Amino acid sequence: MKPVVQRVLDVDGLSTRLDGKLIVDSVSLSVDRGEVVGVVGANGSGKTTLMRTLAGLIDADSGRVSIDGDWFDSASENRSSRRMRARKVAYMPQSAESHPFSAFESVLMGRYPHLGRFQLEGSADRDLAWRAMERTSTTEFVNRKLDTLSGGERQRVVLARVLVQEADLLLMDEPTASLDLRHQILTMDLVREEVGRRNAGAVVILHDLSLSARYCDRLVIMNEGKKIADGTPWEVLTPGNLRVAFGVEGLVEPDPVTGKPHVLLLGSEDSSGEELVGAGRKVHLICGAGSGRELMHQLKVAGYEVSAGVLGTGDSDREAAERLGLEYVSAPPFATISDEQHEAHMELVRDADHVVLCAMAVGMNNVRNVVAAAGATSLFVIEPPGVSGESGDLEVGDYTDGLASGLRRGLIEQFGEVPESTLLFELARAQG
Amino acid sequence: MASEMSLHNGSERVSTGSGVLRRLLLGGLILSGLTLLTAIVAASVGPFTVPFTHTATTLLDLIGIGESTAKPTEQAIIQSIRLPRIFLAFIVGAALGISGGIMQGLFRNSMADPGIIGVSSGGATGAVVAIASGAATVSTFFLPVFAFIGSAAAMAVVFLIASVGGRFSMATLLLGGIAVSSFLGAITTATIILTDDLNVQRQIIFWIAGGFDTARWESVQIAAPIIVVGALITIFVARDLNLLLVSEDEARSLGVRVALVRNTLLISASLITGAAVAFSGIIAFVGLVVPHVVRLIAGADHRVLLPLSALGGGLFLLVADTAARIVLSPAELRVGVLTAMIGAPFFIFLLLRSKARLL
Repeated sequence: MKPVVQRVLDVDGLSTRLDGKLIVDSVSLSVDRGEVVGVVGANGSGKTTLMRTLAGLIDADSGRVSIDGDWFDSASENRSSRRMRARKVAYMPQSAESHPFSAFESVLMGRYPHLGRFQLEGSADRDLAWRAMERTSTTEFVNRKLDTLSGGERQRVVLARVLVQEADLLLMDEPTASLDLRHQILTMDLVREEVGRRNAGAVVILHDLSLSARYCDRLVIMNEGKKIADGTPWEVLTPGNLRVAFGVEGLVEPDPVTGKPHVLLLGSEDSSGEELVGAGRKVHLICGAGSGRELMHQLKVAGYEVSAGVLGTGDSDREAAERLGLEYVSAPPFATISDEQHEAHMELVRDADHVVLCAMAVGMNNVRNVVAAAGATSLFVIEPPGVSGESGDLEVGDYTDGLASGLRRGLIEQFGEVPESTLLFELARAQG
Repeated sequence: MASEMSLHNGSERVSTGSGVLRRLLLGGLILSGLTLLTAIVAASVGPFTVPFTHTATTLLDLIGIGESTAKPTEQAIIQSIRLPRIFLAFIVGAALGISGGIMQGLFRNSMADPGIIGVSSGGATGAVVAIASGAATVSTFFLPVFAFIGSAAAMAVVFLIASVGGRFSMATLLLGGIAVSSFLGAITTATIILTDDLNVQRQIIFWIAGGFDTARWESVQIAAPIIVVGALITIFVARDLNLLLVSEDEARSLGVRVALVRNTLLISASLITGAAVAFSGIIAFVGLVVPHVVRLIAGADHRVLLPLSALGGGLFLLVADTAARIVLSPAELRVGVLTAMIGAPFFIFLLLRSKARLL
């Protein structure tokens, strides 16, 4: 009896060419038993080709693949090595084909590598198949033909087929691609469960970064055929990696429920090559207590360079500014803005192309924020959110005995007032 | 709900696995029984009618049970004229049924027929050469031999076209088959038009329409081994064909040697079709309709589909040939004409039915 090898997959410098073009460029990676490794990357980054090479469907150009301690020729047609490999490696393709077999027949096909040429599927095989269909909740269409099922239903049937194969290594190419949200979660739960229960390993290509972070022990990021990162989700899901691999600006923060990394996408490099509307322009937000965070986000996505002030520690606008990496002036919580802070704030106001005064609550501690707004050359005063279309009452957020409202009214007389929803439009119009 | 309960009830309610054997036996028994009955009718009817009891006892006598009650003339007609024809019609039908099932599986298309890669047209061209060159009159066996060579040559050419560049492609195989078929069809038509000999023209048209009127024991002796061996080989890899029909990638990842299985199936299906065409001419629709109907009734599993398509094809062609002999009696309708006349409307009916189900 061969001892159980802890490392179920070991890939060493694997390169694959398709039509002479290098698609996978010397990738090395490993998967231990009990581990789920996610592969993420943009379209065309080589994920699927890497997986197809690992599954022995295409020949590698160079490099070696070891499965459960045995080195395999990549696409050998040798009978025993094919069968051996099929007992150890299950592959779930990206698209679940439509065909005239029943769902149960399709699932039973997973037993193929375990059966002799003329050996019929026995009751043990049928029980395995039935149990796998229960786990993927596909028993309701057990006798339906695959070509009468939807794409998502077919995908779950293929998943059951993969489970029935009882392999040590699961290679899954976007197993959640055509599934609804509930079945995405159920599928990934099942992958984890299977890997834990059978002490197997899994390599899973996923497009949803947050889903991959939630379910994978490790993530591998592919870009232009190369592996550019390999580590825990927290280690590899960095704004820098997101920018390089996907060309997107993103934020990574803990999921409030799972604590796993959650990826928020802010925007992308414009693929048409056109500049974003806000490129090269600075907008300063005067806000507080959550009145500005939505605008911060929108402005950032639109390409503006955004600053903010003066924000107290613990203020939700301050947290948002921190996450988005904005330049801002901060003050201790509920403390009155000092001369020094006010001066720093004025600096930002003068430096900005446009200043936005949000509809925020004002007390004696932060009334100097409204004073600072007067220093702007181009100011947009945000209308307080009103009741049934009317603009709200100015006095509502004023805890300064009318001082703040007075200042605000003066600014409105000079610059006018805009609703928050049209601010981006007004900004774009202001710059022509 | 007790999950243990549902597990047992569930997996037993599903009829697969041992269901393969059950469907195979049940279908095989029904089709063999019907074939036997049809054979007795076929051996009895014709210009010279033999009573059914005489036919039955003669057939039993032939396999060593009891003694024939038929008169010597009746025995002679059954043994040397009607039986070879029955056997030939059955094995040709079986060949077309099974290779139709294989081609439909390989091309993942229920519209594929045994001649899809040019085998039938190749056979026709071979036959035309034999008839037009006069070789067919030298020996009666030159016609089937030429036809078989034509089938094999057409298959080889289409295979080469699909393998150019080292990468085999099923799409190219299909298109190559269509192109080669049209080209060979044109040669056949040109020969018919250009020849001055009315007798040659008539023989060619007669051969193309398909029939078993020239059937002899020697034809059965040559065709049967090719068809039986070919059919057994394909049944050997029937399960691999199941996986291949799902997807080439999945089949390969489950351990199927895709190229080997595919080539084995393509070559055996083509050779058995070639052997069938060589002795019968071109018989339409059997290879298309029979696997289709078997699939509807017995499912898509090729371990069941291929053997039952063979039996079903044999039965269908035996019925059609018997009908062809008696509908215009004493004249004969060509069986290829009859299968198309029955097969085409039936096929349209199937299409409309499956369409109505989809809508």
